[in-house]
Amino acid sequence: MSDTLQPTIETVAGSPRRYKRVVYSIFVVGIAGLFAGMLFDMPLAGTTTYLLGAWIGGALAAVLPRVSSATLTDERDTAVHRHASGLTISIVGTVGIGVVPALYALEAAGRLTITPTMWGAIWMGSALFLVWGGCYVYADNLQ
Amino acid sequence: MQTDLPERREAAGLSQGALADAVGVTRQTINAIERDRYDPSLELAFVLADYFDCRIEELFEPPADDE
Repeated sequence: MSDTLQPTIETVAGSPRRYKRVVYSIFVVGIAGLFAGMLFDMPLAGTTTYLLGAWIGGALAAVLPRVSSATLTDERDTAVHRHASGLTISIVGTVGIGVVPALYALEAAGRLTITPTMWGAIWMGSALFLVWGGCYVYADNLQ
Repeated sequence: MQTDLPERREAAGLSQGALADAVGVTRQTINAIERDRYDPSLELAFVLADYFDCRIEELFEPPADDE
C-alpha cells in the first residue's frame, strides 16, 4: 500500500460511521444527479453522474472494509441488511398480491386504465419478486 | 436478551470502542447489545464470554417471560 493511499483510507474509513456516511453520500449524489439530469433535460450528464456515484460508491463499499485496519462492518450490519431486505420483499409482496390483481379487475371492468408508468411499476415489482425467489432457493440450498 | 456486559466492561476499564476492537466488531454493535437492541450471534457471544473469562449464560440470559 502506498504511503499516500493508506492515510487517505484511514481518514475515510477510520470509523464505521464515517465510512457509511462517505459511501452513502456518494450514492446519494449519484442518484440526485440522475434525477437532476431528468429534471433539467440533461440525461447524459445525469446518467454519467449516476454511474460515477454507483461505481465509486460500490467500489469503496467493497474495498474499504478489506483494506482498512478498523472494523467497518460486522454481523449486526448483516442482520440489519437481512431485516431491511425482508421488509422490502414483504411490502412488495403485499402490494403485488393485494393490489395488482385488483388493478387488473378494475381495468377489465372499465373502471381504470393501467398507465405505462403503472405497468412499469408492476413489471419492476414482479422482477424483484422473481429475483428474490431465485436468491431464496440459492440461499436455502446453502444452509 | 439481558446482559451484564456494561458492568463487566466498565469493571475492566474498557470503553465500548476498546471492547469492540478487542472482539472484532464495531462500537455500534457493542452499544446495541448493551442496550438490548441486538442479540449477538452465538459466535460473538462465545468471543465475548471468552474475553471476560466467563460462561455465555453468565454474560447473557433470556428475558424472564421467555423462561
